[in-house]
Amino acid sequence: MIEFDRVNKRFEHHDALRDISLTIDAGEMVFLTGHSGAGKSTFLRLLMLLERASSGTLTVNGRDISKVGRRGIARYRREFGIVFQDHQLLFDRSVYDNVALPLEISGFSQRDIERRVRAALDKVGLLDRENAQPALLSGGEQQRVGIARAVVARPKILLADEPTGNLDPQLSAEIMSLFEAFNRVGVTVVIASHDLALISRLRHRIITLKGGRLVGGGGQG
Amino acid sequence: MNTKLSAQKTGLGLGPRPQLAAWVHHHRQAAADSLQKMLMEPIATLLTLVAVGIALALPAALWLLLDNASAVASRVEAPTRLSLLLDDDSSFEAAERFADTLATRVDIAAVSVLHRDEALVLFATDTGLDSLLQGLQDNPLPHTLLVTPAVDVGTEQLEALADFLGGRPEVDEVVLDTRWIARLDTTIALVRQLVVGTGALMILGAILILANTIRLAIEARRDEIVVIKLIGGGDGFARRPFLYTGLWAGIGGGLLGALLVLGLFLFVSAPARSLLALYDSDFTLQGLGLVGVIRLTLMGGAIGLLSAAQAVTLHLRRIEPR
Repeated sequence: MIEFDRVNKRFEHHDALRDISLTIDAGEMVFLTGHSGAGKSTFLRLLMLLERASSGTLTVNGRDISKVGRRGIARYRREFGIVFQDHQLLFDRSVYDNVALPLEISGFSQRDIERRVRAALDKVGLLDRENAQPALLSGGEQQRVGIARAVVARPKILLADEPTGNLDPQLSAEIMSLFEAFNRVGVTVVIASHDLALISRLRHRIITLKGGRLVGGGGQG
Repeated sequence: MNTKLSAQKTGLGLGPRPQLAAWVHHHRQAAADSLQKMLMEPIATLLTLVAVGIALALPAALWLLLDNASAVASRVEAPTRLSLLLDDDSSFEAAERFADTLATRVDIAAVSVLHRDEALVLFATDTGLDSLLQGLQDNPLPHTLLVTPAVDVGTEQLEALADFLGGRPEVDEVVLDTRWIARLDTTIALVRQLVVGTGALMILGAILILANTIRLAIEARRDEIVVIKLIGGGDGFARRPFLYTGLWAGIGGGLLGALLVLGLFLFVSAPARSLLALYDSDFTLQGLGLVGVIRLTLMGGAIGLLSAAQAVTLHLRRIEPR
């Protein structure tokens, strides 16, 4: 589903990723870990086409993504559900409208949007808060709204960048079990996290980066 | 039916609608949202509309004034008459023969002959110089032909006709006061040019005002644009609300401009009518009319869309997720 083949990403003064080769299979759930600056963010940014690889080939769903042009980026990003550390919710609209946004972009009918938004909010346990303003929710609830938005269009791949970065251990565990639930129904999940204590308990592959190099979890399974 | 059933089973509905339906739906949504956002900030919106309205109303009002002025001028031109003062030696019979030949020309509608004695009587009654003229031994006036040009004869052709007639041996002098008509025409042309020039500047001003409004709207929604782009919204999706904001502001400004012109028209129509009455004119003033209102509104809309497109091209691209 996702394949890095000798991928390098060089910024002006340093190499953010060096010679990364690995495969993440469809339906797999993997953690991406390492100290800050190890290359986790760059890894995800390359996948989202926020950056382009300096060399090497990055294949997603069988397609070499260096071939995706500027105009194709939006459509490409719709193949993913993306969860951000700082949620990236829009505070001038309700929880419902935030979750509905990806469906509106994709052009779903109002009826389908309603059904899907409710289903997604139900899965993250926030069905009763659909009319709330995100700013009035707790950090954990905001992150769950972000997850509902990421899964509402039923993407095949879910990317999460430090989704539990600002949460206490109990909330973090709850969020992780949400991701596991989505993984169980076939979604490929990639989570960048530095919370080793949490992710090592969860028995999924852990890809470890250090100084931009792959130091663990490169092999399959 | 099967698809529908399975969709209902999963509770997730059908997939995205066909492109066109989705596109139309999003357009309607963006149009409504933009309008709603503008109405939620009535003061700011009103200020923008007033600025755009004034920028459109001034050239429109001047244009209207010009239309009225040229309509008045064209009515004045029609009854122009040439007086041909014939040579002193020519007889009345010769004058009549000359009149008959002239009457066959296409650019002449009618020719009448005024005997020198009649002319003197007319002159005497017109000027009140009866007694003075009675003291004269000879009639100093020649026979005169009064020539009415054809209705469709323009100013230039009239001058050419006057030149031709002046060149005839029977004619001593052609009296044609077309100079004031030429002056009026030239003045109207000059003012029209000025109106077009200032109008273009005012419209440019309106475009800048609207483009700046859109730029501010884009800045205010920067976070939203970033999120939209992050989760797969294309340029079109991000751009649409702002294009509609521009369109609505332009249409609103155009309508307001039309209202201002109507107000201005009412304001000046009473003195303008008195002025026309002084000239014994039955001319009625032409207002903006429904067509004018619609035209101004559409023009406002076009200007709004153009400004928004400019602002969006300039500023939206620069907002990218980091």
